[in-house]
Amino acid sequence: MGTQNIRQGWLAERQLAPRWNVWASGLLNLVVLAVTAMVVWWIFFSNGGPLKLYTPLLGFSLVIWVLLVIIWQTEYFDYWPLKRPYLDAAHPLQKGGILTGIALGVYFVFIFGIMFYIIGRYGITYFNWNSLTQYGELGQDVMSTRETTSWAFICLSVPFLWLTTVLMVGGDKTAWPDSLQPGQGLANWLLMGLLSVPLYLVFFHPHIGSMFYPAQVYAAVPPWWKEIAGTNSAEYGLGILFCSVIVIFITLQLWEGRPWNLVKGQPWKFIAVVVGGLLLGFLFFKIQLAVMDYLWDEAYIGGQNEYNYGWRYSHTVTMGNFILVPAIILGTYFGEAFSRLAPWLRGLTMSVLSVILGLLFAWAYYAWAPVLLGVCEGVSHPSENPSAFLVLLIVLLNIHDAFMDKWPGYRLVAPEDLQR
Amino acid sequence: MQRRTFLKRLATTSAGLALTSGMGAVPRNAYAKRKKQDFGEIKSLKVECISETSWFDNPTLGKDIKAAGGINTNQYDVTYNEENLGGYAALIEVEALDGKKTKYLLDSGWSNDWMDYVFQKSGVDKMLQNKEIDTMVISHDHIDHYFGIESTLKHQPDIKMYFPSTSMKKSFELLKGADFSSTPGCPKNAHPHTGELIVTKPDQLYKLQDGAAVVFFDAPATLQVRGENVMYFKIKDKGYVTVTGCCHPGILTLINYARRNFKDGKKNYGCYGGLHISPFENWDPKMDDIIAGVKQYDMQKIACNHCTGWIWAEKAVKAGLPIVPGTDKFLSYKKVGTLAKANTSNVYTGNGDTVVF
Ligand SMILES: [Fe+2]
Ligand SMILES: [Fe+2]
Repeated sequence: MGTQNIRQGWLAERQLAPRWNVWASGLLNLVVLAVTAMVVWWIFFSNGGPLKLYTPLLGFSLVIWVLLVIIWQTEYFDYWPLKRPYLDAAHPLQKGGILTGIALGVYFVFIFGIMFYIIGRYGITYFNWNSLTQYGELGQDVMSTRETTSWAFICLSVPFLWLTTVLMVGGDKTAWPDSLQPGQGLANWLLMGLLSVPLYLVFFHPHIGSMFYPAQVYAAVPPWWKEIAGTNSAEYGLGILFCSVIVIFITLQLWEGRPWNLVKGQPWKFIAVVVGGLLLGFLFFKIQLAVMDYLWDEAYIGGQNEYNYGWRYSHTVTMGNFILVPAIILGTYFGEAFSRLAPWLRGLTMSVLSVILGLLFAWAYYAWAPVLLGVCEGVSHPSENPSAFLVLLIVLLNIHDAFMDKWPGYRLVAPEDLQR
Repeated sequence: MQRRTFLKRLATTSAGLALTSGMGAVPRNAYAKRKKQDFGEIKSLKVECISETSWFDNPTLGKDIKAAGGINTNQYDVTYNEENLGGYAALIEVEALDGKKTKYLLDSGWSNDWMDYVFQKSGVDKMLQNKEIDTMVISHDHIDHYFGIESTLKHQPDIKMYFPSTSMKKSFELLKGADFSSTPGCPKNAHPHTGELIVTKPDQLYKLQDGAAVVFFDAPATLQVRGENVMYFKIKDKGYVTVTGCCHPGILTLINYARRNFKDGKKNYGCYGGLHISPFENWDPKMDDIIAGVKQYDMQKIACNHCTGWIWAEKAVKAGLPIVPGTDKFLSYKKVGTLAKANTSNVYTGNGDTVVF
């Protein structure tokens, strides 16, 4: 039983109960989330705030990596170095503060310490904007190099995110199940990292190699996908991989891991998640492109803004995130309201609701975000990337759920209470 | 066609409908159904580059903009290094089918000091005074195309003018004589515009004369500017030529607009002006897409400068696009951009150069 518990992880074992009825608790949490998101956005990201990290790529690269670190902390490392008695007893605010602090610390060490300062200075120029300005000539000034480096970090995050997701869902931590933390987490993390690197090199490095003049053809092949994608931009691969992640996240939130958990035994489950996730993601990607073709007419090679193939591929990610956010909100804050429905009906109802809410959310964002968040007006504005705000919401939702037990709307139920 | 019906059915779901409301930047009715417009033909077109050097040093402007809060700051809130400022303007001469010649002025640059100099050098000042220039088109109210409006209006305050409806409130005020010059690099205008003002709106064609028209595109740009007037000309036996300030809507948008909306729209002959691809000389694979996109169409003369980006023009030449080479005339001007000095490949139609279509 002991090993069983360790394998499950604290997040999966923990029991939460709404403090009041589900709707009241959920709505209170939603208000807390909205207020926190606005405050964090204005302090760190907004064009009108003090730090202006929404450039937009710098902001996007920051939130996506913090999200990854949080997933690693909870799913791979089971909250290590914090111990279960502490997790069971500490106040959510204190716990949330410490765990978020650890997440930000890991982010800074990994992205700024290792990738930016060490690799960007002594290995690969494009991972450090200062190196780009230092060694680069024409056009490599602070404003452009910061976006180039941020784009490189976003590109790097995508294989990491995809593999983190498929290993988390498909791998079931069956690799090294009996190891203790942090060994188990580290082993799984290293496996994920090892597999991410070739994926990055094949799907993203060619893009970054052609971000300079002349194109860096001796270090990176010219984008090999341009005939298939209608663009030299890596947004094609990014769109498909990210859509796959979004679809898998939705299955976790709203379908309780179906259909993946119907497949028993390895390597079958892993294969099912990889292949099935890619297929569903590709379908999600293609449906969205078809809707865009209908709304805006077809894109063309070299088209601008919404007529650009690359922009449309990225926009599938944006719209996917608009749908994923309400899906996570429904799943974490209001999930119990649907608990009486049969699982498949519950999944279907909540998925349809998420799509409707997601489209409403998108409409509201494009209508009001220029005022509320200080972003640029227009769906395809070159300085606009709603995913920065949406992933920030997903980060805050994860912090709220995994690090703070959905306080104040929810509370942790002690194991003794459950037995009673 | 089958695919199209499938798409229509797919989007009649509530999802598709919810997406339509308020989301498209440009209203999109089926182009194919639209009647093709025919606004006549001209015999030939001559464009003279009065000035394409909007500023002389990219990093200096970059620093000014960054210090003010980045490229999405309001352009009237940035403190600019005045030494660095130039401007964009082009003189267009149309030869009608009957041989009659008509002149148009596109844009009025930025620094009044620089604009006075280039207007005098090219004789535009005298042409304005003598009312030889029929009409002025303001492409958009960006710093480098509009802040120097006084340099035109002081010679001819009653010139007929096409002006984008999306211009900032302060830009309309400037036209009426406002003074924002307490912020360095920001404009003033002591000669209020008194002539006819045509405020251009999306999806409408404004005919200037047979074979010449202005079309307004609502496209996003930097420094909170939006929208751009584009000049289209149809040259007999050759095809369509666009003349742009910055081309913020994108050159392929313009080509496709002609293809979808104009009679014989598939005949694209050429273009003149800024193409807004790599104004700060940084590269992105999407700029390779633009080369590949333009290559699909049978353009004969691409005269580019200003915010096109030297590196785009150079790559376009290597890819076989018909970039019109410039001359060394720009070197005789009192100021030369740092980039132009460094690059001798003459892929730009530079200050003082003339292109005939
Ligand atoms: Fe412009
Ligand atoms: Fe310009």
